[in-house]
Amino acid sequence: MARDELVPWQDPEGPSLPLGVPLVDLLDRVLAAGVVINGDVVIAIAEVPLVRLSLRALLASVSDRVPAPWADGGPL
Amino acid sequence: MTELTEPATSAEPSTATYVFAVCRATDAPALATARGHGDGGEVRALPAGTLAAVVQEVPTAAHDEEALRRRLSERTELERYARAHHEVVAAVCEAVTAVPLPLATLYRGEERARRALAEREARFHRILDRVEGCAEWGVKVWALARPSAPGGPEPATGGDDESPAGSSGRAYLERLRGRQRAREARQHAAWTAAERVDAALRPLAVASRRLRAQGQDPAQGGSGNQLLNAAYLVRRDGAAALATALRALNDAPDTGDQVRIEVTGPWAPYSFADGTDAADETHTEAPDGAG
Repeated sequence: MARDELVPWQDPEGPSLPLGVPLVDLLDRVLAAGVVINGDVVIAIAEVPLVRLSLRALLASVSDRVPAPWADGGPL
Repeated sequence: MTELTEPATSAEPSTATYVFAVCRATDAPALATARGHGDGGEVRALPAGTLAAVVQEVPTAAHDEEALRRRLSERTELERYARAHHEVVAAVCEAVTAVPLPLATLYRGEERARRALAEREARFHRILDRVEGCAEWGVKVWALARPSAPGGPEPATGGDDESPAGSSGRAYLERLRGRQRAREARQHAAWTAAERVDAALRPLAVASRRLRAQGQDPAQGGSGNQLLNAAYLVRRDGAAALATALRALNDAPDTGDQVRIEVTGPWAPYSFADGTDAADETHTEAPDGAG
């Protein structure tokens, strides 16, 4: 099913296909990349409206450890 | 703005130092980089003791807190900014061992960037040692959307006219319960499958992490919940084994028939760059306070 996707998206020559990288996964990483040092400019990501929105919508979760709620519950 | 004069001397410098990643000083000559942010100078290595930072001078006016808040609030600009960052990080990590830094790590000048690195020198080296020769792979697992038969024999073939209301009510409830049980069984099977995927992949990785779940599956038209969003730090020579394991999981009925598995990568080791050594640590700081 997802077999084709096992192929890495990057060419051996380099990351020449930046558009192939899904934005959600990219944000997931570039925003939350491990923080080893803090910069002088600290943008509180949570204060940026779009980022906050997309994190809510795209990366929505109950908590970090519990992966995802079953939203399709309900009696019917 | 067509301001040609330099800002007042004591105020903010007109350029800031954007740091993309950190590598060993000895690797700096082998660096490959990309264009970086469109409004910045050349992406280059900034030596800092035994380390080197991959930096770009960018105009402060477009990268201070004010400006960034505005830019990142705009979908296209956020994407452009993130991709410019990623291109450099990916190029660097492809060429040498490096620690990626989060989006928009900025300093008021080289000196401050250098000092920040120096203060964390030992920690950077620890992380560099850990991610050496490795790449990050993302694995996402979604529940398959339910077989979609809710609109089927819903009104219970109301043909039995003479049946007392109580009986058909009971039948109705019975049906609801049956549906509920079936759903629970399906959910259980999907969760088990997701755990099985993680359990099968973890031994192939140097370290692994659970990332925040992303919600519904876009490939299934927005249904199908995400059960697993994991990152695995895998040695480069282990990537083939990972692919084989994933194929086996896809083919196995107790996983492949229960869930949809998607792989992304290889990534720069974004999710393994914070220096905690324990595997299976989650990110403790959600950028958003979860509401």
